[in-house]
Amino acid sequence: MKELLPRERFIRALRHEPVDRVPLLYRMKHEVKSKLARVYGIEDASTGRKHNPEIELRLGNDAIIYQIGINADFSHRPIKIGETWHNHFGVGYGKSGLKGRTEEEEVVFAKTQEYWGAAKVVPENFPSFHPIQTMEDLKNYQWPDPNDAEMLDPIDDICARYQKDYFIIVDLSSTLIEAAYAHIMGTQKFFLQLFDEPELVAGVLDGLTEYYTAVGKNAIARGVDMIRVGDDVGAQQSMMLSPVQWRELAKPRFKYMFQEFRKANDELFIKLHSCGDYSPIIPDEIELGVDLSGLMQPTGGNKDQAGIKKKYGNDIAFIGGFDVQNLLPRGQVEDIRNGVLAVMKNLAVGGGYIFSPSHYILADVPIQNIYTMLEAQRDFGVYGKYPLN
Amino acid sequence: MAEPVLQIPEGWDGRVPDGWEWRTLWDAVETGDHIYADSRVKESIAAEIHPKVILDDGLFPGFNLQGDRFTEQIIFIPEMLITARAMKAGLKLIRPLLAAMAVKPLGTFVMGTVLGDMHDIGQSIVSIMLENAGFNVINLGTDVHPDKFIEAARREQADLIGFSALLSTTVYYQKVTIEEFVKAGLRDKVKILIGGAPTTQEWADDCGADGWGKDAVVAVRLARELVGQPREAWA
Repeated sequence: MKELLPRERFIRALRHEPVDRVPLLYRMKHEVKSKLARVYGIEDASTGRKHNPEIELRLGNDAIIYQIGINADFSHRPIKIGETWHNHFGVGYGKSGLKGRTEEEEVVFAKTQEYWGAAKVVPENFPSFHPIQTMEDLKNYQWPDPNDAEMLDPIDDICARYQKDYFIIVDLSSTLIEAAYAHIMGTQKFFLQLFDEPELVAGVLDGLTEYYTAVGKNAIARGVDMIRVGDDVGAQQSMMLSPVQWRELAKPRFKYMFQEFRKANDELFIKLHSCGDYSPIIPDEIELGVDLSGLMQPTGGNKDQAGIKKKYGNDIAFIGGFDVQNLLPRGQVEDIRNGVLAVMKNLAVGGGYIFSPSHYILADVPIQNIYTMLEAQRDFGVYGKYPLN
Repeated sequence: MAEPVLQIPEGWDGRVPDGWEWRTLWDAVETGDHIYADSRVKESIAAEIHPKVILDDGLFPGFNLQGDRFTEQIIFIPEMLITARAMKAGLKLIRPLLAAMAVKPLGTFVMGTVLGDMHDIGQSIVSIMLENAGFNVINLGTDVHPDKFIEAARREQADLIGFSALLSTTVYYQKVTIEEFVKAGLRDKVKILIGGAPTTQEWADDCGADGWGKDAVVAVRLARELVGQPREAWA
């Protein structure tokens, strides 16, 4: 097959049409991105909302993601020890892992950030202030402005610059349940309030639905190809909440949101993401008209990639599936090659698949493992060649 | 496995006053009614039922039922959390009574999420389940520096230590913290368990832990096993 434009390749894969090679979508956090930037001599290694896609394109990405959801900024920006930084939702974020580290440990820590090898101890930014705790808080809460030009204008630049060749995605994660528990209410609070004050949970979810529907429609009006909705409801071995409860809380709200999106552009592609095991709700995603499901973290029910592909592969496209918890950070070269091969065999055969690690490439991944993955994906991700012949 | 059912403690009615019933407390713990659990346990204490009986016959059946359902993925985190809260409400009233009667805990368990990691829910659930199983649990919370673990282990003369980590970037600190126990000369005085989403048995072996809690139920079973194994005595 002749070489396709990245954009064509991505769209054809979403439509389960034949493609030359498996399309790609790598995402990474800034520690890794800065290392790769050195290889390619690119100075701007920004991630998050200020994301510079040039490095990902060098790795072979067929699409560009612009992230504007509630978690677009906090994990990509430096937060000082003891500082609380508030985002546009009024959620506060602090930094873990640095309080109490001695000077000697600071030296050890600095060494782990060197170019080769894994950054083994990475301080992470975490939500530390959750603005809505009571009905009173909800009543007084100022939702952010969905028409914020600073947030939306870069979409025009990205489309003008890249859309001729590349597929353009706007990422609204975290969108609903995850936005409520991880950011706006706090996890334990959210789960307990499901029983103690369900109207508070419903109010927060309604507010999020309304806000993100408006943001999504604004992005669609500016011409994006896909809206990515990210909502983590999967734990390691099972879902966090029951599929029944998800169908009550999330499904009708997504149904409304997606209908509104499609009213704005009936050719729009929609991606729904969850971390962890979300296998019980894949049929619901199909029912909602989701085009792309991922990132298929191979845990719990998602481990059975071949089974899932067989059962649902005609009705929905998949992305991801390559283990980032153990294989990518700690695997040896042969393990990683075999891992990529297995994912291609399980998910790419017959098309309707986009290769990606099952999440961001994090700082714990040694650079040689990234190149091993890239090499394996080039070897095993071409249609007409083993294992995709 | 068959659908989990409520295991009614054998001979329970011989351990309570005539006409007493536990059914409402079993149901309250099962459905997570912590307000009723609190008041019914108070009534049980007032009725002079032995605290150990309240715990075993009154509180455990509903909790165990939900624990089994959690393992079987019939219920999920929200349901388990409210059941744990109801259990905790009862336990809070009973624990001082047990202590006053010199009922010894199974062992002392120091628990926490390692440095760099703020994830709380997993280790909270495990802590509550360990307490329910009869352990004295010292929960250090999240983002715990190795020195804090060592300090608590010394102070409490701990039998078991648990390190939780939910990120592939923070599991490394499980290893580092175990190494710090070795350096402090305490490694043989305690048994160390690890757990958390990205952890595996291989990682547990690699970082020198004594056990891997795949989930909360396995963690409690392991803790019961390990606490019986020989260890160097605290001076």
